[in-house]
Amino acid sequence: MSVGADLVLESEATVESVELVPDEVTARSPFQLFWRRFRSDRVAMASAIFIIVLIVVAIAAPLIVSVLGLPGPNVNNTNALDIFGSPSGPSVSHPFGVDELGRDVLSRTIYGARVSLVVGIFGTLIAAVVGTIVGLLSGFYRGWTDTLMMRTVDVFLSFPVLVLGLGIGAACGVRGCLSGLIQPGIATVIFIIALLSFTYIARIVRGQVLSLREKEFVEAARSLGASNTRILFREILPNLIAPLIVYSSLLIPTNILLEAALSFLGVGIRPPTASWGQMIADATPTFNTAWWYMVFPGAALLLTVLAFNLMGDGLLDALNPRGTRS
Amino acid sequence: MRTFARSAVIAVAAVVLAVAAAACGSSSSSSGSATATIPLKAGENPSSEVLYGKKSGGTLTAYSSIDFEHLDPGQTYFALDYIVVPNITQRPLFTYPPNSTTQLVPDLATEIPTIANGGITDGGKTVTVHIQPNVRFSPPVNRAVTSADVAYGIERGANPNVANPYFAGYFGSASPSPLEGAESAKYAGGPIPGIQTPNSTTIVFHMTKPGSTTLINALSLATSSPVPESFAGPLDKHSPTTYGSQYLVATGPYMIQANNTTGQFAGIGYQTGKSLTLVRNPNWSASTYTSAYRPPAYLNQINVKIGGDATVAGLQVLKGSDSVQLDGATHTNVKLAYQSYPAQMTITPGVGTWYAALDNAHGVFTNVNLRKAFWAQLDRAAIVKVTGGPLVGEPMTHFIYPGNAGFLQAGGYPGPQVDYNKDVNGNHTVACKYMKLAGYPSCTYTGSQTVQVVGGTNGDFPAWTQVVNSGLQALGFHTHVSLVDQSVLYAKYCGVPKQEIDVCPNVGWIRDFADPLSILYVPFYGPAIVPTNNSNWGQVNIPQVNSAMEQAALVVDPAARAQAWANVDKLLVDYAVAAPEYFSNQPELMSSDVAGVNDQWNQGSWDFAFTSLKNP
Repeated sequence: MSVGADLVLESEATVESVELVPDEVTARSPFQLFWRRFRSDRVAMASAIFIIVLIVVAIAAPLIVSVLGLPGPNVNNTNALDIFGSPSGPSVSHPFGVDELGRDVLSRTIYGARVSLVVGIFGTLIAAVVGTIVGLLSGFYRGWTDTLMMRTVDVFLSFPVLVLGLGIGAACGVRGCLSGLIQPGIATVIFIIALLSFTYIARIVRGQVLSLREKEFVEAARSLGASNTRILFREILPNLIAPLIVYSSLLIPTNILLEAALSFLGVGIRPPTASWGQMIADATPTFNTAWWYMVFPGAALLLTVLAFNLMGDGLLDALNPRGTRS
Repeated sequence: MRTFARSAVIAVAAVVLAVAAAACGSSSSSSGSATATIPLKAGENPSSEVLYGKKSGGTLTAYSSIDFEHLDPGQTYFALDYIVVPNITQRPLFTYPPNSTTQLVPDLATEIPTIANGGITDGGKTVTVHIQPNVRFSPPVNRAVTSADVAYGIERGANPNVANPYFAGYFGSASPSPLEGAESAKYAGGPIPGIQTPNSTTIVFHMTKPGSTTLINALSLATSSPVPESFAGPLDKHSPTTYGSQYLVATGPYMIQANNTTGQFAGIGYQTGKSLTLVRNPNWSASTYTSAYRPPAYLNQINVKIGGDATVAGLQVLKGSDSVQLDGATHTNVKLAYQSYPAQMTITPGVGTWYAALDNAHGVFTNVNLRKAFWAQLDRAAIVKVTGGPLVGEPMTHFIYPGNAGFLQAGGYPGPQVDYNKDVNGNHTVACKYMKLAGYPSCTYTGSQTVQVVGGTNGDFPAWTQVVNSGLQALGFHTHVSLVDQSVLYAKYCGVPKQEIDVCPNVGWIRDFADPLSILYVPFYGPAIVPTNNSNWGQVNIPQVNSAMEQAALVVDPAARAQAWANVDKLLVDYAVAAPEYFSNQPELMSSDVAGVNDQWNQGSWDFAFTSLKNP
């Protein structure tokens, strides 16, 4: 049984009470039902459009910067600084002003989207994969497997997130960790995010699996001789897709903020790679004299996180069988 | 000595500049608009510092975004540490008064040894020093200092648990005139036959070669401060020693707040990364100084607040009261202070050099042509710009910096006229020439090695590191840039050869004493490389350079000595041992109610023994 089936059943239950006109009854796929719900949520749709635009901007950053006639994100131009080395504000040639190296802030904000999206999405993806596996095994096998895995998760959950991130970032920041497997930069940040985020997914998945493994369709599969692997990946896993999508979509903005926080604290993205968190950190000491350097990447970060959160809420509503919006 | 923020000698430059700006500007009394034509030279008026006759009392708050590295006089070699170690908590044999970079005066000693007073004998191979008789250690030791304490303070520098960064260079195996018995590289602490203490107030140094000039100068460094063996000896058996990190006794006017029964200060007067509290040393007496140098110690207490952001701290100082900033002013605050608080900023010109240390022993920069290419490519003018502009420095063109003997002989401000040195804005064409000579015909590095860059997080270091990184990337190098606190940068990375950091963009050097030897010897003399607390960051070990230094160190005539060291400087340029960045002036900030006095010999940093509050 899949979540799509749930939605179909609920949809049918909803329309049972009205008078049916045979010609108007059309079969809808689970996706169609989801899409119908989702598109009716204008805020979520607007957020999704913003995110799509953001992804396009991130992918096409070099082209966009070129079309706008801006210098690259790492092009220093100390001529744009005054005699004391202070950056100049927004102008025709630099719409968002320049930073303390004379680098164009608009250009860096555009490129910064790449880091936020890559870290947010890939970090969450890895966390989802690891968390799903841990949750599946833990919930399905129970016993010592469950105890071992969940206590490990508890240990990870007990760490203060930023302190752990700072520790790992500092330890891996210069030379890397695990014989160079974890290198400074984006890889380290993604590793930190995955390490800290998989626990939430694992707990959610475990709870779902504990419930699903007792369902009739699992019993049926077992009675037909299905192996544990088949039951796990062909019967139970498909039923986890909806909650995974919802929680992952809500985890992405959290992870984008975590990346920004780590970069702000100096253990995230390595310079000169443009990162919104790093830009905000760099701008903090000079905010009273160079407001543009903090405001624009800050606004980009705020809008992106807001968009992911609102889209996540929309997905939750659209994928939740018991949702009230339809 | 390693520098911490920009660079060292006080001046009332800001005042002078502000007055000049007001006088030459419009009728407006504001100097706020006078930013377009900043004089390129900060005013230097070191002798005008008023040292005595001020009010006593009060508590000063000092802000530093950088933490201290070593508080043990046997280990300290970081300019920030020097603000609280020599003359403040410890008394070396000799020192410089705050308003002079050249006048060596006695501190713990009674006089400067000369041939005339019998302090220098045996053709310059023996130096005799007498110390003040009634100097006492702080609690819990309390007793009077003896010459044996001075001897132990020096000898323990060779103990691997202490690992003094310059013992070998000035006293031991790498010294041009080592002490008898310490000339072997195997010497690792313990009594040195070349140091004798015939009585409790006399210490005699015997060298294998005539090196009295260098030795006397070197005895102004912190390691000549007395250390009681009965107290520190057991602590020195720990690796690393816990003297200076957990326990300490003082001889200077102030001590780090500590348990008076045990001497433990860690967790009491010093919280790593947070704070350091200096209180009066109850056993100190002003009568134990000569008239040439007698610190008034006006302040009752100094609270150092560590951490935070340098720009924010600077704003607190400028707009607050009873406070100073220890780690220099960022470019934002230089501008603000220049425009709005000119009387609260001092700029000390000619205080040191900043350069990018390039690992000469490992990695890509073992190739001299790659070093020259990077030198040519590096935009030194941009570094000056991002750190505050012409008020804080000028592009560096060689290694002996302005105000020192040998500077003019080595080329003055323009420096040696080799092609990779001429254009301070960076010259890709010249860089390309050396890339080709290095075997990269496309002018782009095509090797597989990644260049590890470790810069500082403090103040303007991140932006400055980016300029260096841009220079590397312009030549095609793949880089990994890491930023750490500058004290960590020295202690854990750039000062540890086995870390093999390719580029340290934020390392700086100020002379140990008034001699060009102390600018070039420790940072570039190969045999002086030590495994930890190392100051030859680039691990420069070139036989021709080493030989030239050994010969220059023995030259006595001042003019000939200046020329000899200028020749060494030219050799260093020829080998492009590091990439020069700028000759620095040091801007320092204080509140309006602080009568600050800067140590011109220590990159213009505030001298707590002479600084006072106007209204305590």
